[in-house]
Amino acid sequence: MDATYIQQSIEQLKTNIFMHVRHRTLTQYTGSPVLDENQLFYLLLPFLNGEKWDEQNEVSAITVGIVHASLNEHDKISEMNATSKEQQLTVLSGDYYSGRYYEILAHSGNISLIRQLSEGIVNRCEHQIKLYESSQYTIREWYQTISVIQTELIKRFYNVYQFEQYSSIMHTGLLLLQLQKELKKHASGNTSNIFVKMQESVSDQESSIELIIQGEIDSLKNLLNEYLQTSNILKDDLKLYIQQQVAFNFIQ
Amino acid sequence: MEKMKLKLLYSDLKSDIDIIEKELETALNSSSHLINDASLHLLQAGGKRIRPVFVLISAKFGQYNIDQIKNIAVPLELIHMASLVHDDVIDDSDLRRGRHTVKAQWNNRVAMYTGDFIFARALEYVTSIENVKVHQILAKTMVEICNGEVIQIEDKFRDNQNLKDYFRRIKRKTALLIESSCELGAVVGGLDDKNIRHLKRFGYFVGMSYQIVDDILDFTATDKELGKPAGSDLLQGNITLPILLLKDHPVIQRFIEKASSGVVSEEDRLEMLKIVRNSDAIKQAITLSNQYLRKALKEVDALPNHQMKRKLRDVALFIGKRKF
Repeated sequence: MDATYIQQSIEQLKTNIFMHVRHRTLTQYTGSPVLDENQLFYLLLPFLNGEKWDEQNEVSAITVGIVHASLNEHDKISEMNATSKEQQLTVLSGDYYSGRYYEILAHSGNISLIRQLSEGIVNRCEHQIKLYESSQYTIREWYQTISVIQTELIKRFYNVYQFEQYSSIMHTGLLLLQLQKELKKHASGNTSNIFVKMQESVSDQESSIELIIQGEIDSLKNLLNEYLQTSNILKDDLKLYIQQQVAFNFIQ
Repeated sequence: MEKMKLKLLYSDLKSDIDIIEKELETALNSSSHLINDASLHLLQAGGKRIRPVFVLISAKFGQYNIDQIKNIAVPLELIHMASLVHDDVIDDSDLRRGRHTVKAQWNNRVAMYTGDFIFARALEYVTSIENVKVHQILAKTMVEICNGEVIQIEDKFRDNQNLKDYFRRIKRKTALLIESSCELGAVVGGLDDKNIRHLKRFGYFVGMSYQIVDDILDFTATDKELGKPAGSDLLQGNITLPILLLKDHPVIQRFIEKASSGVVSEEDRLEMLKIVRNSDAIKQAITLSNQYLRKALKEVDALPNHQMKRKLRDVALFIGKRKF
């Protein structure tokens, strides 16, 4: 197994997700579902590492991807003005994907995953909405929010199929990758709402927000490297891929 | 007055409806203050709760156990609530039932996350039912409702639509969820296939009538009764039954053109309302609604003798004659 095989597996999963939510009108106006390849990689990690992976795992992974796509659609809705046809249909894309994930799991009778994913969506929404609350949160709490948004649904998938041994690396990896992205977006003048909130949370500190986040990234990198060096469950090719993912994400 | 009638109609189901209300409160409880505020805002806005009521009545024809039945009655109302929260974003509506919508009170994103939270809570709740058939019916309904909303957006201001387009749209928009409420109540109540089918068809016909009446009221009720400006549907480009029956009227045609360009004055709106209210279109629409009601009542006749048959008839008739 090399990086090409991993990339092909991610692409295949993406194709399968697209196939399951294909909708003529929605695709025409809102485009293809938005999916994060880093999340898809961690969704497939147990499979890539040789864990028993049958048709049910495959279908379940597809539905986790669909839920991500659903929530990502709703993140595209403008806060104040969603009156264009594209925005209206984006609301419906998210709802349609949500209905489709439920339909697929209902068809296969996978009630336990429906329950886990629903609980996961509830938790994710509770964190996402924090951006609009008047309460003050610490930077640690914002890291936690980013982590929940990035990892919650994959964690639920791991729980159902007893893949919890991958939870720690997935949490560290996805939080690290997202913080790198946040810093890069900010540097390119495309600051996200969550970055602004993190900035506000450290406004009384002497260090700049960039340095504080970089410090967190460095400590997450150390944690990740330590895990990769000591892990005896993860294949070497995957360890290399994860290291490259972090390095490439930084350069890109 | 109308609310009194409804309360009276529900009186012998009151204790169970109270349980549903309590469960709705519990289901909407969140660790987020903002979601709690938004949810409370929705609960306080009230609603007729016709979907849970149809679940309860349908289940009464079988083995009725409120502790089981509530597991489908509550999610159906939650799904309805969540779709309203998202619909208000789509329609850019600031008012619903005379109160600010979630999107107007906070913003579109808060409405999206609140809606997603409520949808997820509905599914979390319904997973206490292991019967796969229940999930398959509900999931199919959710997808079809969405398809109906997509069609509604595609059909906005489209001048070459006909009655078939309208009925296809309202079937998905409203009738399906009421149909599923009756069907799922019957399935969870353990009824046989034949009676499940009768209740399902009853729900479909009542749902069609309900939406036609809703579309009539959008023109005939006052702004105060509606809690939003009368004629809002047409202002948003939704060509409903009264307008379809009047579509060749030159003033109506001009109004649709103006509405599609977003240049409607208050004077235009009042003139349009006057024409619709004084036309035969309202009477014709009522006739069509009554035809669906009659079909619904035939399905009730086909059900086995039970005291709930009368209740089904009464609720159906109330829906067909309601004034809000």
